[in-house]
Amino acid sequence: MAQQKKPETASSKLTELLKLQVGSISETIEKEGQTLFGGSNNLLGTDEINDFCIEFLQLLVALLESRDPHDDASPQFHALEMYFNNLSKQILVRGGRVEDLVRYIQFMQRTLIDALGNDKRSTVEDARSMLLFLSGLFNELILAVFQAYLDEKERTVYAQEAELRETATPITEIWDGVLTLPIIGTLDSSRTMLVMEALLNRIAKDHANAVVIDLTGVKNIDSQVSHHLIQMVRAVQLMGSDAIITGIRPEIARALISLNIDMSNVTTRASLSDGLKEAFRRMGIQVSHKAA
Amino acid sequence: MSIPGLHLTRIGSDDFLLEATRSLNIRDQDRLLEGIASRLQQARASRLYYDLSEQALIDPVYYAWLDALARTIRAINVEMVCIHMQPTAAFALAQFIREKPAFETALDIFGWQKTGQ
Repeated sequence: MAQQKKPETASSKLTELLKLQVGSISETIEKEGQTLFGGSNNLLGTDEINDFCIEFLQLLVALLESRDPHDDASPQFHALEMYFNNLSKQILVRGGRVEDLVRYIQFMQRTLIDALGNDKRSTVEDARSMLLFLSGLFNELILAVFQAYLDEKERTVYAQEAELRETATPITEIWDGVLTLPIIGTLDSSRTMLVMEALLNRIAKDHANAVVIDLTGVKNIDSQVSHHLIQMVRAVQLMGSDAIITGIRPEIARALISLNIDMSNVTTRASLSDGLKEAFRRMGIQVSHKAA
Repeated sequence: MSIPGLHLTRIGSDDFLLEATRSLNIRDQDRLLEGIASRLQQARASRLYYDLSEQALIDPVYYAWLDALARTIRAINVEMVCIHMQPTAAFALAQFIREKPAFETALDIFGWQKTGQ
């Protein structure tokens, strides 16, 4: 029982201390916030920093006044964690560094510990409990910041991947109702599925009668991908369009044969230009030199 | 005579358009096949356009229904052309079919006629 009472005592004393010294604590952390994120760094405005400091202290008091401030599953703890998570995202998106955020959180911790030193009534045991509590709490907050940092990095990588995919597979309407899809680089299953999805949607959108898929830039192909390629052709045909595959390199042709891929329902042509001629022929389009 | 779950409309002299509604019960396949075949035969139809615009997904059960319909009406000399297949449906269908379907496909009626097939 005595052990259970200690954290309550420590947290209530900490709350009392915070309320007594809220002005000076807030001022100190605001000043440091201005140095790290304000002014020429231009990451947060003065009002934003002030609001942030006030909200942080409010959330901290709410946690200290909760039933069990040590409970990291409590809504108050979660609110504080989310608050730091969101602040980190905001700063990172604006080009801030995660190191500065971590230093700032450590500074806040130090400020609170310094404030403890001003309270002459606390016993050594109280101070120890408060220090332990603060160190546990701020470790968790630093973890929340790192989590936000990793999420942000992951999001950036995904966005870059998506952009790369889009630029690597440009679907172009080269003539009314004729789409071309030059595929460059290595085809893997996930990319093939994405290309297939984009192509089918484009056929529906543009009402394309023929699609020329050019594989000149494809260096190698495996069994799974070749099956996906055949599925792509089949899906295009099911939508009512003609699919023509062009530019199959000899090594790819050999790989397709050795993988026993049935190409009987697939129209192939040697080059992209032959593929286009075939598409035009099927659509009854004639392209000729201007008569002299 | 109407067939429950679908609209069968004559378009042109020999062509029919089939539009399935949400209430189409393909478990009642035999009765549906007989009803459609009988209607097409009476009208001396030569082509049936099956509109798939409302079908977001074609699973093996629905494909079996389309396959059975195409084969049935082929027996009375009517060809079936599926039109307006949705990208999601084509994507799903391409995953599991292994052979050429018993029906033809086209973007739309106009697309089929333009290619002169």
